[in-house]
Amino acid sequence: MTSDIQVQALPVQGRRRSIDFSWPTFALLTLVLSVLVLLPLFWLVYYSFRSDTGAGATFANYIALVADPTLLRAYGLAIGMALAVGVLACIIATPMAWLVARTDLPGRRTIRMLVTASFVTPPFLGAIAYEILAAPNSGIVNIMYRSVFGLEASEYLVNIYTFSGLVFAIACFTFPYVFTLVANALDKVPSDLEDASSILGGKSMTTLRKVTIPLVLPAMLAGTLIAILQALTMFGSPAILALPAGFHVITTKIWSLFQFPPRLGLAAAAALPLLIITVILLRAQKSILGRKGYTVLGGKSGTPRITELGPWKWPAIAFVFCVLSLTIILPYLAIIKTAFTGTVGDPINLSTLTLSHWRFVLFEFSATQLALRNTFLLGFLTATAVTAIALIVSYLVIRRSVPGSGFLGVLATAPVAIPGIVLGVGLFLSYANPTFQLYGTIWILLIAFMTIELPAGYQQMSSAFSGVHPELEEAGRIVGASRLRTLWDITAPLLRTSVVAAWCFVFVGTIRELSATILLTTANTKLVSVIIYDLNESGDLGAICVLGIILLAASFAVVFIANRVPVLGGSQMNTRG
Amino acid sequence: MAFLELDGLTKSYGSLTVVKGVNLAVDKGKLVCLLGPSGCGKTTTLRLIAGFVPANAGEIRVGGKTISSAHSTVPPEGRNMSMIFQSYALWPHMTVFENVAYGLKLRRLPQSEVTKSVRTILSATQLLPLENRYPGELSGGQQQRVSLARALVIKPEILLLDEPLSNLDANLREEMRFEIRRLHDEFRYTTVYVTHDQAEAMTTADMIVVMNDGRIEQAGSPEDIYERPETEFVARFIGGTNILSGTRGDKDSVVGEGGLVLRCGSGSTAASGKTAVSVRHHDIELSSAKPKSADTNVTVGTVTRQIYLGSHRDYLVSIAGGETVRTVAPVNVAIPVGQEVWLHFPPEKCRALAQ
Amino acid sequence: MWKKALSAALLATGLAASPAAWAEAPAPYQITPELEAAAKAEGKVVFYTATDVAVAEKLAELFKSKYPGIAVQVERAGSERVFQRIGQEYSTGIYNADVIETSDAVHFEYFKRQGWLAPMVPQEVADKWPADERDPDGNFAAYRAHLSVIAYRTDLMKDADAPKTWEDLLDPRFKDKMVKAHPGYSGTVMTSTFVLSQLLGWDYFEKLGKQNIMQVQSSTEPPKKLAQGERALEVDGNEYNVFRLIDEGKPIKIVYPDEGTPLAVGNAAVLKQAPNPNAAKLFYAFLFSLDAQQLNSDFGGLRSFHPGVKEKADRTPLSKIKILHSDPEKLEPEIPTIKANYEKYFGT
Repeated sequence: MTSDIQVQALPVQGRRRSIDFSWPTFALLTLVLSVLVLLPLFWLVYYSFRSDTGAGATFANYIALVADPTLLRAYGLAIGMALAVGVLACIIATPMAWLVARTDLPGRRTIRMLVTASFVTPPFLGAIAYEILAAPNSGIVNIMYRSVFGLEASEYLVNIYTFSGLVFAIACFTFPYVFTLVANALDKVPSDLEDASSILGGKSMTTLRKVTIPLVLPAMLAGTLIAILQALTMFGSPAILALPAGFHVITTKIWSLFQFPPRLGLAAAAALPLLIITVILLRAQKSILGRKGYTVLGGKSGTPRITELGPWKWPAIAFVFCVLSLTIILPYLAIIKTAFTGTVGDPINLSTLTLSHWRFVLFEFSATQLALRNTFLLGFLTATAVTAIALIVSYLVIRRSVPGSGFLGVLATAPVAIPGIVLGVGLFLSYANPTFQLYGTIWILLIAFMTIELPAGYQQMSSAFSGVHPELEEAGRIVGASRLRTLWDITAPLLRTSVVAAWCFVFVGTIRELSATILLTTANTKLVSVIIYDLNESGDLGAICVLGIILLAASFAVVFIANRVPVLGGSQMNTRG
Repeated sequence: MAFLELDGLTKSYGSLTVVKGVNLAVDKGKLVCLLGPSGCGKTTTLRLIAGFVPANAGEIRVGGKTISSAHSTVPPEGRNMSMIFQSYALWPHMTVFENVAYGLKLRRLPQSEVTKSVRTILSATQLLPLENRYPGELSGGQQQRVSLARALVIKPEILLLDEPLSNLDANLREEMRFEIRRLHDEFRYTTVYVTHDQAEAMTTADMIVVMNDGRIEQAGSPEDIYERPETEFVARFIGGTNILSGTRGDKDSVVGEGGLVLRCGSGSTAASGKTAVSVRHHDIELSSAKPKSADTNVTVGTVTRQIYLGSHRDYLVSIAGGETVRTVAPVNVAIPVGQEVWLHFPPEKCRALAQ
Repeated sequence: MWKKALSAALLATGLAASPAAWAEAPAPYQITPELEAAAKAEGKVVFYTATDVAVAEKLAELFKSKYPGIAVQVERAGSERVFQRIGQEYSTGIYNADVIETSDAVHFEYFKRQGWLAPMVPQEVADKWPADERDPDGNFAAYRAHLSVIAYRTDLMKDADAPKTWEDLLDPRFKDKMVKAHPGYSGTVMTSTFVLSQLLGWDYFEKLGKQNIMQVQSSTEPPKKLAQGERALEVDGNEYNVFRLIDEGKPIKIVYPDEGTPLAVGNAAVLKQAPNPNAAKLFYAFLFSLDAQQLNSDFGGLRSFHPGVKEKADRTPLSKIKILHSDPEKLEPEIPTIKANYEKYFGT
């Protein structure tokens, strides 16, 4: 045995002189990402100094920014709304996260799943659902309220077309951000810290107050900041709820500046403070989460401590059920009901049940097919492109294979600071001109979606990469596989689950996008989100609900199928590292 | 000419230089251990040899061909080496068989030959019954052997091992040391082995290279390193020793601060100024009465600590000049703490150290 | 440079008046088998419209049944957004649309100035349309007309309580009960806001703004809010949507106020850069045919200038309504003022 193995070393045969692709790849990606991120910002700044009425440079747009009361009011209302959303989301999410992560509440896993699934609901669809539920006269809740108490037609319980109604409707669909962060933090708080407190004589409540809550406070703050950011930059829900209530927030105001005659310079100038606020909020969030010794990370101290609710179980269940009803169950029921009855105000009985909205959407409305095709084509392209770019960028960054690769990471994360509507303005200014002629094609939307989704994709891929021990790749290299071959044979299969997850995440994010889309879409590049918005403007709620159901069903189906792609290794996929 | 040559090899990260002009020659078929504390540059040296990091200066040559220099680096996959990693780096999505066969498949061998070679190496490492398992289903020792098999099956020109046993528990570690030596005797690959464990180095190596602060302190056979350390660092790092400092006396003697004169059987003293003497713990003779035979190399001290360890007793004795000497004595030599005691340092066991 | 081109086209649209080429209207044309064949070869026509989506789709269906093999792509949005879209598209060199139709007459003056329209006169228009409802140069013609009306839910408001005049709407009893469309979005409402501000003054709107009105976008939407029962009274909204809802049996009644009711004329035209010129020509002629106009009236509730159209008996004929006409040439320079004032009084 010894002899025949010993004969001669086995070199890798037929090896071409290997070319190192790192540098060209790095250069190409830097170029692509710079174009994606920096070009729109450049035009945004450039146009903000251009006069809307004639040629020439001007500060007039910035003067209008502080002098025009309608802009100031829009900013004020937007900031107030965002803060209120943040606080409300935090108040709803934190106790719920604690109940789910740290108590013996029944059905904890299901609740977690439901909350996570509610990420899939596009916020604008949620807003429309709340129009159906809580419009002061035709809202289902108010109709029931009046009939139960036998009140006059002018009486109502809730009115969604108000500032507080808007805050509520947005909070319903942003609280998952806080929930997820806090629940994950609670999972990681090591029980020995709490045990230490109990041993020192702390009662459960004292321990909770003095130890557990301070430990998850950073997660709460960080989640709240994200909720604030989401609310501040959201377009769909305010457009649907704030306009009927008679006020603008900054996103709808920017959008209205695009009406005839368009005031692009003012729109650009009005978008810039939003960009700055976003950057500040993200920095704050990062510094809160980044404070070492305060956040608990990598707690290996056994399972988290579970509090027994005892007699408090029923109030807790009632609370959770109430939150889930408001955020998931009622909106979905409202959408389904509207899709199958004549008008929103109709009661449900055999005579009002109808498939007319389905017939209209599927067979009469000529935009449906095109929009569905565009939406899914773009979702597919964006998810694939973003996942691929994020994969390569995070590889270059995490493995530091090229000096200066950290810059790529910064570029890939940067768009997170650009609100959709701002990006929409920037992209319109960059590409809607005779040189590029991208406006009116799906490519401008692809660029927009790629830019918007890149940070999320990059974040997911880079954390997945950190989970793959570099020695696994080195082991491949040393036995004779090139860098690309290693990436393909070893890294890729190990990242498969994360890649699929990132792909789904981007896909779902893309097909629900509205804020940038609304400025970039044209007749031939209609998307489902836009026709939903258009239909809302003409009041066709039944058709909207049908489209919403199709959109949601398709998203769930795509995510489901993506997760059923033939698996490699299955349960053996436990990477050491 | 040596098979593997490192010539003035230097690696720095920014202003931090971690490998400082290392020169080393390894003959074909030898097993060399790079030994040193963490941060001494041994792992970086290994990764330079593997081609994972490019050199800043100097060269690496294999069989006379330059594979690393400041200008060019042959990529790892072009070096025909193998490596065993600290984490084993077994690919969790491949079975034992697939892990081992991967390198052969890259070499485009026919399937039948791949299967044959893999089976041969798996039986040599006693893994044949486990060939369809996934790495996650194996014990630590088994994973270690898969890692060995995977590295050996491609018949590398050079085999590299990076602290391969540090993740195993003590018993298994000892067993695997002998296993590695046995496989080396069987296959005779030129091997570079990185470890911080001197016992591991002693068991496996043909040559031990002690590294410190990016430099080679001393290279030689295990006997050389242990018995004839050149520097204080090597003496301290390999086996327990007492370092007694003093000034150079006449001929081969060193005069300690308390007036103790030590004649040294080997080594060299510094030409001027401070110099040192190394005496291993177990080479010092301890007695309650003054030994008659010697007039040099003897001193009196006070026991400051005495521990019963079953096979022997471990003593700390403070001597004149304020130095503390550690020594061992048979169990029946039991001198309580505080009592006076005589120490004899046999000259043939005293090694003078210039640095 | 393209930047200049973009600024010129996009930013200064309202002001930059290029000299209009003065020419005689071209000779009327009829639908010939050759035209039909050429249109079929193109296979498709793209229709940018501001008419209610259900009506527009119905019309497209009728066209497809008459001329099988030609698909109709209906792009429906509010007039101002149709206008915004075509402006954005043309300024960037995108030519998607074949036939365009909005309810804001100002737009067609603008298109004509820009030279975007292809002059052509269908025989039907030449023969039957009143002279002031078509462009003397043959660039466009009035495809439809509708009134912007006050309407109320008869089950939520007694007939005696219903408003009779515009001034009535300022009465406190209507507070919180009204819904209204937006001039920045709807051409109909832009027109009606203009004529009412001329008739009643801006202080009327200032007072109306204090009535806590539900603001919606398109003028198709207030009637739908009535149908839902979301509000009891609409300040403005398309008469044709109300007709359609009454036909469906909703308890809604129209009020034609004593001061007069604003009329919005929806012009249609074929674009010079139409990608399907023959299909466009065919579709354009079809739009003015008696069948199409009768369908607009019956199903859509639209008013028609075709003398052959027979309106349903329960509808008040135009001749019995005091109509407020608007002059697009006077309206155009007022647009920024109207939008600014509106935002001041109504918040959006």
